[in-house]
Amino acid sequence: MVTSIWGSHMKTGLNGYRVAILAGFGLLVLLLGLMTTNLLSQLRDLSTAAGDNTQWSISQLDTEFANLNATLSDQLAKGDLSDEEVQLRIDIALSRLDIINSGRVRGVFGESKEAKTLITPLNAFADAAIAISDKPGPLTSSALRELRGIVQEVRPNVRKIALLGVSLEAEQSQQRRTVFAQQLARTGGIAIALLVLMGGLMLLLDRLLRRAARRDAELLTSSKLLTSTVAASLDAIVTADDSGKIVGFNASAEDVFGWAREEIIGLTMEDTFIPHRMRDAHHNGMNRYLKTGTPRVVDGGRVELAALRKSGEEFPVELNITSIEYDEGTKFIAYIRDISERKINEQKLIDARDRAERTDKAKSQFLTVMSHEMRTPLNGILGVLDLLKTTQLTPKQERYAQIATASSEILLEHTNEALDITRIETGTLQLTPQNFDLPELVRSLVDVLEPLAREKQLGLTLKIEEQVRMGFYADSNRVRQILTNLIGNAIKFTEDGRIGLKVSGIHGPVVSSVTFAVTDTGAGIALEHQEQVFEDFVALAHGEGRQTRGDGLGLSISRKIARQMGGDINLMSEVGTGSTFTLTVPMQRREEVPQADARVTDTRTEDRKSLTLLVVEDNNINRKVLGDMLEGMGHTVVEAVDGEDCLKKADSMPFDIIFMDISMPVMDGIEATRTLRADDGPNAQTHIIGLTAHGREEYREEAEQAGMDRFHTKPIRLDALYSIIAEVSALVHAPLGAAAPSDALRELSQALGQDKVSEIGERFFGELDIFFAQVRQGEFKDDTPALAEASHKVKGAAALLGQHDLEGPLADLERSARAGDLSALASRIEALEGIAKSTRAGFTDILANSAK
Amino acid sequence: MTKPHRSRILAAFLVLLSYSVTPATGQDMMGLLVTATSSETEPFELSLEALDALDQVEFTTTTIWTDGETRFSGVPLKALLAHLGTVGSIVEMVALNDYAVTMPIAELEDEAPIVATRMNGETMSVRDKGPYWVVFPYDNDPKYSTETNYSRSIWQLNRLKVMD
Repeated sequence: MVTSIWGSHMKTGLNGYRVAILAGFGLLVLLLGLMTTNLLSQLRDLSTAAGDNTQWSISQLDTEFANLNATLSDQLAKGDLSDEEVQLRIDIALSRLDIINSGRVRGVFGESKEAKTLITPLNAFADAAIAISDKPGPLTSSALRELRGIVQEVRPNVRKIALLGVSLEAEQSQQRRTVFAQQLARTGGIAIALLVLMGGLMLLLDRLLRRAARRDAELLTSSKLLTSTVAASLDAIVTADDSGKIVGFNASAEDVFGWAREEIIGLTMEDTFIPHRMRDAHHNGMNRYLKTGTPRVVDGGRVELAALRKSGEEFPVELNITSIEYDEGTKFIAYIRDISERKINEQKLIDARDRAERTDKAKSQFLTVMSHEMRTPLNGILGVLDLLKTTQLTPKQERYAQIATASSEILLEHTNEALDITRIETGTLQLTPQNFDLPELVRSLVDVLEPLAREKQLGLTLKIEEQVRMGFYADSNRVRQILTNLIGNAIKFTEDGRIGLKVSGIHGPVVSSVTFAVTDTGAGIALEHQEQVFEDFVALAHGEGRQTRGDGLGLSISRKIARQMGGDINLMSEVGTGSTFTLTVPMQRREEVPQADARVTDTRTEDRKSLTLLVVEDNNINRKVLGDMLEGMGHTVVEAVDGEDCLKKADSMPFDIIFMDISMPVMDGIEATRTLRADDGPNAQTHIIGLTAHGREEYREEAEQAGMDRFHTKPIRLDALYSIIAEVSALVHAPLGAAAPSDALRELSQALGQDKVSEIGERFFGELDIFFAQVRQGEFKDDTPALAEASHKVKGAAALLGQHDLEGPLADLERSARAGDLSALASRIEALEGIAKSTRAGFTDILANSAK
Repeated sequence: MTKPHRSRILAAFLVLLSYSVTPATGQDMMGLLVTATSSETEPFELSLEALDALDQVEFTTTTIWTDGETRFSGVPLKALLAHLGTVGSIVEMVALNDYAVTMPIAELEDEAPIVATRMNGETMSVRDKGPYWVVFPYDNDPKYSTETNYSRSIWQLNRLKVMD
């Protein structure tokens, strides 16, 4: 395409040159003709007019008159001449006179008046002379004398005529010379012009020649290059004309197809290397392309197809066909690569990958199942141990129970880690961010680990810097897990000295970077081993403590989790001095978090009101343990063995809380919850706590969708149960859906009085309506900052009144407005109005209740 | 310079021809006197009749001395000299007024110049450049329109001398 444009450009350029050259030659010929004509006429003039003897003829007139005069004088003096002789002289003189009156001599005198006045008397002489000479009879002396008189009279005239002739002739020849000089100059000019033109043409020709030569050389080079490229190509290159006839077949093509170049040239692609089953399609495709010019394979980039070797076997090829339009038709160039080997390798790789994936999946599956299977009995063990500790024990028994609990806890930790590993590897590790108080978290952690340190006579110090003494929103459980691991390791590998945990942080605009530095005074880790400790299954040394473990998974998992949280764990260590493991985690500050759902209320001491509880669990031991635990706390427990049983039991009486195992035969917990929520039975609104031996993430979403209020991983410990019950019992007696706002509102009404709060509420809802109306009327259409401002204002009021249902969406709206995103504004406002309506209804009720 | 043997043969030849050539004892006004320095023979005087008896050449041309086209007829000089058998390399042409001009015989052509005996079919009087006029067919070829040929175009011719 490029070449053809370039070619046509060339063509017009060449035509232009040819026209110029032809025009130049035409001009040249014309000028040459002109010049030749000019020169020839000049030459003729030179050889004739300029060269005649008119001057001589004129001067002879004078001579002959002198002769006549002399003859006449002689005759008169001596009288010895014959008449004939005298008459001859007269005749000669007369003949000279005739010369003056005719031919070119007359031309010399032309229209000269002077000549005329000189010649006229001569003609009179001629008449007289003829009269005398032709008179019959011999010449008389008187006639002769008379004649001599006339001759002598005209002689001065004759003389003057001769002189005039000379001067006129000279003038004329001068004129001729001038004309000639002019013509010569003109001719010279033409000659110079011709030379210049010829020079120009020669330059042009030279340029064209050089260009042609250069182009020739370029073409030769590129054609050589092309030839060698085609010949040396690793891909088969086959060229065919529009009838599919093969016109080019390179060496690689010979190798690939098994055809020799000589035997395949002239045959068609269809008859040679296109598989039989594809020949029809190829034929139609070619025809279609030639007819419509719509390519499918041609010029369509790389495609994978099948081809046929001469031996008849079919093999996969990668094909790229391009077409070139020639004057005489279309040429197709096919670049063909034998990809059979690649395909085989690909298949091998795919098989290997599939195998590996299957194995891996099986491994993960096994680990997950094992973890689950181990957790279920652990649930029983730990539960029973917890229960055992609530009974009267001897100090020895208590110690045994303690050991058993600790061992079970380690076992639980191991199963959890195994699960984490599979989750990390399968990419299903999910973070569960929640609100938490950072100082509380680290303090409780240190409290738990402090006994371990004390056991090895190690000090465990905690330092929390001022700026991070606050609440954050992050996966606190994971932070706790990592810190437990780091501090646990520090205790494990330190023989004497102390362990320090220092918490510091930097507050970014939205997110804070919180750093936990765990420092020990242990043996330290050599630089070359520092990265190694983070690898799977690497344990550099076996600790001596009770916690000794050899799988080396702890740090590896910790780092992986930290990285998933967007942070990292780094190590700085010096052999003999100690090590510092630093965990850095980005955490959202709590005030940034729009809704605060998890209200951590402290436990145990809360009112021990007896509740009616339903425990749904298929595992007899676990059901028994959980039941015993709950009964031990003073509650009434009803047991169900599966979902179906649960529905049966729930049908007859209302429960305060239902503990629902997720995985159960006959009907699982999810299904049972869904049914409960859907039916309009006595337990449609009951607080349901899901329990699972799987990781907490696996079923969370499903459980929440089914309508579970909480979700807890087994084993559920006594401590956890206390806090759960306490939290739930605070909610269960409050009117439905108003648990959250009630607190703020109650406080407010206590502080300000019910009437005042009621008034504020009315004003708030009034403002809200105005706000909605403003948005609907499009007042903020082009003014997103104003919308953000208005949203912010209303949001603040909603928060003040504890209207969290409104506060959340309003905060969302404010954020969107600040970001300039006003999509679905109408529907969002509509949703807000819906919420406003219901909250407004609830508002008065709550206020009335709180007053009691 | 001349070889006696060759001269004798020429003399004999001239005697044979003498019936048509009268020796120039007293030159007639219309006669053409031809002398050859190499031969010992008497000069010959050719009359108009003698000239008319030779092969005639006629052409029409303009001249620089006359107006319009003129028809000339007469005997080519080359043929005339050949007829007389004169030997020489140069011919001197002399007019009545003794104007003389020479011309190499080698330059004579078969039909130019001619010794014109008639102009427009009429014999020429002395007043009219007669009796004889050596003319070239000037219009036939530019080569005749040269100064040399104009000077050789002698009129009132009455003598020819063939010289070595």
